[in-house]
Amino acid sequence: MRSIWAIAYKEFIQISRDRRTLALLIIMPMMQLMIYGYGINTDVKHLPTYVYDQDRSYLSRRLINAFTQSDYFTVKFQVSSLKEADSALDRGFAQSVLVIPPDFAANLVKKKTTQIQLLIDGTDSTPANVALDSSQAIINAFMQSEKLIPIQVLPIDFRPRLWYNPDLKSTYFMLPGLIGLVLQFLVPMITATAIVREKERGNIEQLLVTPIKPFELILGKIIPYIFIGIFIATSIITTMHLLFVVPIHGSVITLFLLTLVYLVVCLGIGLWASTIADNQQQASQIVMFFAMPSILLSGFIFPTQSMPMWVRDISYLIPMTYFLKIVRGIILKGMGFYELFDQVWPLLLMAVLVIVFSIRRFSKRMA
Amino acid sequence: MSDIAISADKLTRRFGKFTAVDGVSFEIPYGSIFGFLGANGAGKSTTIRMLCGILEPSGGNGKVGGFDVQTQPEQIKTVIGYVSQRFSLYSDLNVIENLTFYGQIYGLENTSLNNRIKEVLTLTGLDRYRQKLAGELSGGWKQKLAIANAILHQPKIIFLDEPTAGLDPLSRRGIWELLYQLAEKGTSLFVTTHYMEEAERCNTIAFISDGKILKIGQPAVLREELDGQILEVTCQPLMKASRLFLALEGVRGVTVYGTTLNLNVTDQKTVEERLTACAAKEGIRISSIKPIAASLEDVFSDLDTKRSADA
Repeated sequence: MRSIWAIAYKEFIQISRDRRTLALLIIMPMMQLMIYGYGINTDVKHLPTYVYDQDRSYLSRRLINAFTQSDYFTVKFQVSSLKEADSALDRGFAQSVLVIPPDFAANLVKKKTTQIQLLIDGTDSTPANVALDSSQAIINAFMQSEKLIPIQVLPIDFRPRLWYNPDLKSTYFMLPGLIGLVLQFLVPMITATAIVREKERGNIEQLLVTPIKPFELILGKIIPYIFIGIFIATSIITTMHLLFVVPIHGSVITLFLLTLVYLVVCLGIGLWASTIADNQQQASQIVMFFAMPSILLSGFIFPTQSMPMWVRDISYLIPMTYFLKIVRGIILKGMGFYELFDQVWPLLLMAVLVIVFSIRRFSKRMA
Repeated sequence: MSDIAISADKLTRRFGKFTAVDGVSFEIPYGSIFGFLGANGAGKSTTIRMLCGILEPSGGNGKVGGFDVQTQPEQIKTVIGYVSQRFSLYSDLNVIENLTFYGQIYGLENTSLNNRIKEVLTLTGLDRYRQKLAGELSGGWKQKLAIANAILHQPKIIFLDEPTAGLDPLSRRGIWELLYQLAEKGTSLFVTTHYMEEAERCNTIAFISDGKILKIGQPAVLREELDGQILEVTCQPLMKASRLFLALEGVRGVTVYGTTLNLNVTDQKTVEERLTACAAKEGIRISSIKPIAASLEDVFSDLDTKRSADA
């Protein structure tokens, strides 16, 4: 017990003197929060739009106005030929072009069907989809407000409602996930380098000739990083809640308890990397190697439901997959421990396996 | 408890096809300094690591402090101190923090630990550097800290792997004074070195080369036992003479020292005659020839030439 404490205390002193690592621990989570909170916003708004209005009537101006007021489209230019519109799309000046035919108002007045065209740049599917959906909604609203369709009783009154994130804000989805991402990246990195550093500097040779037991050494090494992990998680959750006003619907205690389990898995990955690597550089490369697929396959950005079956099978091996469901479940949906049990037990299993494996791999004999 | 601190019986370690340590045997009593001599890569560190229980032997037996090297490595670790070749304490911790850390690892209680730290600081003279980071100490003080650290839990056996490598002569002398004080109190010291004059300070020395012990004994006895006689020849030009003399019959080895040559010869009289004859013919001026006592370096180079001749 005393040995574990001795190692943990020593580790704390070393961390407190290592300014570069300290800076990384504080700056990186905040930087990620700013990037995902402010920078990477998948909510599409203000699509640059060109308008080719051949009608120039009262109604056509009302329609253009409806597009502008929706916030989804911003009318940049009125062009006078289809060619100009084409080239604006080609060169990326416009992401959509609204084409109104010459007889638009005339046909409407005569209660005849008229056509309008919206050209959308489909290179990036996300804004394209938004343009598609929102334009439909704008047109419907326009027709109703201009009394172009008779109000009648619909056979099915379909009213979809969005739960948990009614405004579909991407920060609500991204920022809780960031806890998983930052821990998965930082914690194995600092744990692995802390242990490999002892190998690199020869400290391990002195430790090996002491009567310390492998589990004491490993636990002692882990404890400071558990605290650091909790510190990182706390700083992200606080900033997320206060600065980006992400509501926390579930229990904060459950959130922290399950974060702790995830932390142990992350630490274990770091420990395991340290038993393979001979120097700090190799250790961070191994950690990076595992971090990349975790980010892409865990559902952090792309939903796992849209992945092919075999990729989904891989994603079940990634701890972050489970943790993302847990944090999003607790923060956005207010889920509790029992509702999340399907995600909790694989994480617990991974935590136990990875720690037992690391302790067994760590031998006090030299090769 | 027997008075044998460390014993090795045909201790062997292979790395793949390479045999780093090849059946070494020796016994070291408590209270003595055992010098383990050999070139780099001769197998010194490998032997130490096996005896400290951090490297499994491929064959043979060893006992340290009464515990078996093969089966009781963890018990061995409680009774030994170890100073590694490379400074392996924490350079980002200060002197006190390093000592406190290791003291706790060895299970010393707070009050006795504080007393012990005071004692070892006084013994090594590290007192004035208490708050200094280990990484900022000079080479000699680093080594003293490593020794202070190794004796913290009062082990009766200490292994020191080249404790003076790369140090200036004054620091080296300081380290040896420390080692003598420890031996005086009954501690057994196992020291590797490749400084011959340091070997003279040991009670017993063993020469190791290519993993095999060539010779083992007290320094004085080994010098006595040297086959042949050492002649100190002062002559000019030195390098030409050393080449020519080595080719003469009866000369077994030549070592160049500043302005003189040390010749290991089979028979003093006949060789002296050959030397003067050769010198006259080749235009070498000999100013003096006198027999001198053999040094350990002579012993070692003689052993090494014999071994290469056998191989």
